[in-house]
Amino acid sequence: MNIIERLKERFEVLIAEKKRKDLLIIETTKKGLIPMLFYLKEYEGYRTLTLISCVDWIEDKKFQMSYILWNFRMKANIIVKFMLDRENPDFETVYKLWPQAEAYEREIHEMFGVNFEGNPTQNEELILEDWDNIPPMRRDFDTLKYSMEKFGEREPKSRINIRKEISEQYDEWRRK
Amino acid sequence: MGLKEVLKPLGAWRQIARKPHTILVPKVHREAAERYRGFHVNDLGKCIGCGTCAAVCPNEAIDMVKIEGIEGKKGDSGFRPRIDYGRCCWCGLCVDSCPTTSLRMTNEYIWIREAPDDFVYIPGYDIKGFEQKEKGYRKDKEHSFTDYHRVPMREKEPEERLQTFAEVVLGYTEEEARKEADRCIGCGLCISGCPDRMHIPDYIRAVASGEYERSVNIMYENNPFAELCGKVCTRRCESYCSLGNEGDPVAIRWLKRFATERFSDLKEVIRARKQELKDKSVGIIGAGPGGLTAAYYLALRGYKVTVYEAMPEAGGMTMAGIPKYRFPLPSLKKQVEFILSQGVELKTNYFVDPEKFRNLMEIHDAIYLGVGLLKPWKLGVPGEDHPNVIYAIDYLRKVNFNESVKIGNEVVVIGGGDVAIDAARVSRRFGAKVTIGYRRRKVDMPADREEIEGAEEEGVEIWEKIIPLRVEDAPEGRVKLVYGKARMVDQGPGRRPKPVLIEGEEYEILVDRIIVAIGQQADLTFLPQEFAEKMEVERGRIKVNERQMTSISGIFAGGDVANRVADAISAIADGLRAVKGIELYFQGKS
Amino acid sequence: MSTEEVRLFIGPQHPGVTGNMSIEVLLKGDTITWAKTHIGYLHRAFEKLMERRIFIKSFPLVCRICVPESDTNEENLARGLEELADIEIPERAKWIRTLVLELSRLQMFIMWYGGIAGSMGLSTPVQWGIGDRDYILDLFEELTGGRVYHIYILPGGVRKDLPEGFEERVLKTMDLIERRLPEYDELIMDNAVEQKRLKGLAPIPKEWVEEMGITGPVARACGFPYDVRKNSPYEAYDKLDFDVITEDGCDVWSMLLVRRREIDLSIKLIREIVSKMPKGEFLTRLPNVLYWEIPKGETYVKSEATRGEFGYYIFTDGSGKPRRVHVKGPSFIHGITLLERLLVGQNIADVAPILVALQICPPEMER
Repeated sequence: MNIIERLKERFEVLIAEKKRKDLLIIETTKKGLIPMLFYLKEYEGYRTLTLISCVDWIEDKKFQMSYILWNFRMKANIIVKFMLDRENPDFETVYKLWPQAEAYEREIHEMFGVNFEGNPTQNEELILEDWDNIPPMRRDFDTLKYSMEKFGEREPKSRINIRKEISEQYDEWRRK
Repeated sequence: MGLKEVLKPLGAWRQIARKPHTILVPKVHREAAERYRGFHVNDLGKCIGCGTCAAVCPNEAIDMVKIEGIEGKKGDSGFRPRIDYGRCCWCGLCVDSCPTTSLRMTNEYIWIREAPDDFVYIPGYDIKGFEQKEKGYRKDKEHSFTDYHRVPMREKEPEERLQTFAEVVLGYTEEEARKEADRCIGCGLCISGCPDRMHIPDYIRAVASGEYERSVNIMYENNPFAELCGKVCTRRCESYCSLGNEGDPVAIRWLKRFATERFSDLKEVIRARKQELKDKSVGIIGAGPGGLTAAYYLALRGYKVTVYEAMPEAGGMTMAGIPKYRFPLPSLKKQVEFILSQGVELKTNYFVDPEKFRNLMEIHDAIYLGVGLLKPWKLGVPGEDHPNVIYAIDYLRKVNFNESVKIGNEVVVIGGGDVAIDAARVSRRFGAKVTIGYRRRKVDMPADREEIEGAEEEGVEIWEKIIPLRVEDAPEGRVKLVYGKARMVDQGPGRRPKPVLIEGEEYEILVDRIIVAIGQQADLTFLPQEFAEKMEVERGRIKVNERQMTSISGIFAGGDVANRVADAISAIADGLRAVKGIELYFQGKS
Repeated sequence: MSTEEVRLFIGPQHPGVTGNMSIEVLLKGDTITWAKTHIGYLHRAFEKLMERRIFIKSFPLVCRICVPESDTNEENLARGLEELADIEIPERAKWIRTLVLELSRLQMFIMWYGGIAGSMGLSTPVQWGIGDRDYILDLFEELTGGRVYHIYILPGGVRKDLPEGFEERVLKTMDLIERRLPEYDELIMDNAVEQKRLKGLAPIPKEWVEEMGITGPVARACGFPYDVRKNSPYEAYDKLDFDVITEDGCDVWSMLLVRRREIDLSIKLIREIVSKMPKGEFLTRLPNVLYWEIPKGETYVKSEATRGEFGYYIFTDGSGKPRRVHVKGPSFIHGITLLERLLVGQNIADVAPILVALQICPPEMER
């Protein structure tokens, strides 16, 4: 039995994709995630947490939470992911399983506004100081707009769009 | 650990006696490596202002600006890049993506000035002293971002072509078309070459991303004969494609052909909004591409349109003149039917004479003349009235309407335009041995390059610098062409060299038919006297203003009869322009 | 004697700190009782900016994520995009990339080797390290056109072929560096002060390595043969002959030994790469980069930087821009989770050597 079958037997596996010979992507549910991570760590040898990441699928109103684990003996990565409701981004910490999760979750809390129940330091500022807007890595945060509003136009650059300019030059004929 | 570990580090004192590794800047200038990415230089003559460098610059460091002394023209926007070195990160993506290879970098990296404005400059225009540097980062064409190689169009083998009148060009497959369309960098300079100003980059990009329906809709915004143009357009746009400067231009025509051919029923594809009906009617004389274009857009604007055509089928020259191996009949029918479905009335076999013209002036609020050129030019040599001398335009019409024509086994075609090539290739399909005689050189021939090559592949012989002198009768129903040779006389820069007859030499060729294809002229005898007097005609063409109105208000003209380009796309452009003219005319009148 | 604790900020402007970051510590006498890493001094929002750019425009950006070792970023992003867009690159491109990566590792190690001495006040090797690194930067200048930011590895291969005679010049520089190394060794390895201070400094409990996700030379100094080049070979590393270097001391001295041996290994690998370099094409044609769209997908690619496992978690959504690129720098774990725990109980004077030994690079922590 391979690992996908073993996981399917025990947990809800929505998608299982073998991306490379050493990279497996598993999608599960919010409820199934922490038990699956625990199982992978304790019984399958995926003892190392490499990365926690978050992606904003704003059109689906979802955050994708991804946990990348590393199996030292099998020399393989596994990505376990689930979709989190973007309106109520509440989840639990995995800090008890891996200490580095604390810092990763702190960053995601700051950048995406996901709330990790039980993380002791998530409310401390990591990178941003006195941030006054929505969490900046969300897709609806516009960096250029923010910077214009906050700091003003930096320099008098003509900002002409050459493609538009060329097309308009020849459009004169059409307007006649 | 012992004494050794205390003493050994002292060995570093050896360095004192050594030569230092550093160099004394600025006393010593260190020349940077051969491909170092330093300050930019730009060959302003080669640059066409396509703006690709500005589009690819990750820091918006490149601005396109107008500069003195460089005017926009066809294939050149007149803009040139200005680089802000406060933003530039020296990545060189601009160099990699420059389609003309005019922009490159030198290996110069030192530029010290007090004024910050000195760090914003136009390479090649603001002289900085390192323009002549040969060393520096540049990109060879094979490895730049631009793909200079066109996806070749598959064609039937020459032997196979001669058997039938089926289309020679096989068309792109979907994969080929998307690959070819993806080469387009979207600069839009091609638009400058298109008489109809089609939105070329937009529909090409739509093909590249597989949105064929959107692509065809973009074409129909200003061209209801997109498929016709996809097959037989003279494609002036391609001569101004920015990729054409260093490689093959994008196959704009073939891509249009690919997109339009995918849809058999245009009514399901084109989503043009028809405006409410208006109480004005327009009569259009001549159902060629120009007339029908005017009819289509007038109908969309809610006018009542009637098209009068002398021939039994609509299409004008595209019906009667273009051989079917280039432009099959079903394709024309499909496009004409779609135009008629917009509420255009068509009356065929309706030959307008002065009496009928007066009547049309009565019943319509405006008239559009798209009558084309029907009267062939004559050779003007003795013996031309010989029955074996025929005119290409009549010949092609007869072939296209399936009338019988006898041409015999050996044919000589006089002329170098597209019509001459068409007549030659049609004759080859009837099994004749064909020679084309042209008074200038082959490179001077106005016909499409690909058509000339196609004709030669099919075994058509092309003789250069031939000047017919007279036609003589020959036994067995044949005919003899006596001709002289020409030499090319230079006419100064910017002008075509002129062929001048070499006196005293005469040659002759014995053939079954001589086909004359040296052009056509307008035949305006259908105009009643009172109109003909007022109608201004200039060098054989009806004079029109910028909105296609003739000197008689209410009468508009376009197409071959009014412009000197005499191709389908110009006729379509005239038709479209006339629509706006007619609308303005109505507004002014009511 | 007072038992009062002193709160002290080390950095962000401190000669012993490896970049713009600061460490807040509580001191009891000379001994650290609590430590906290503060970052955010050079957040340039690379990840966010990449989401706003077409793929090709990201390449001049990502090389700035870690300044002294920029090629790892370019290679990772290029390889990730190639995987998502299903592009096969030519064999020669793989070898050239491997050469660039290995040269880049070597120059970083040499600079580090001087740096570890500098962190203890021995500033001569710092100058040497930067000087000798410049000979490798000369090679980069010749090959790529840039000294620090190369922007040389693009999807599809590399931007330019090796120049004429480049291989010989690489070998010559390798000989030069190899000649110089014993002088460094004399000054650093055979130095009583260094030995006394570094041996046994900041021991890392072995179980932390897997638990915490420690990678690179730090993990290898704890006896874990963790090397991405060997574990998950990329580019041409599977065709190279080498063993993973490990030491068993778990302390800063072992990290020093691992890195010293890595220098030798890099020189050996560079010679091997040069001798095995295949002929052929170095770049495959990409789709039009101005309009390049990559189908929806996600992948995690990683490579071995001098600091540890460097990973790119890339998401595409079928448009011409990435949906998200998450850069996993090894320093994130080393600089926050590990450092905060490792500093407890250490002497204040040893903060700088520990920072350098973990080789913390702040820009890759905040991207």
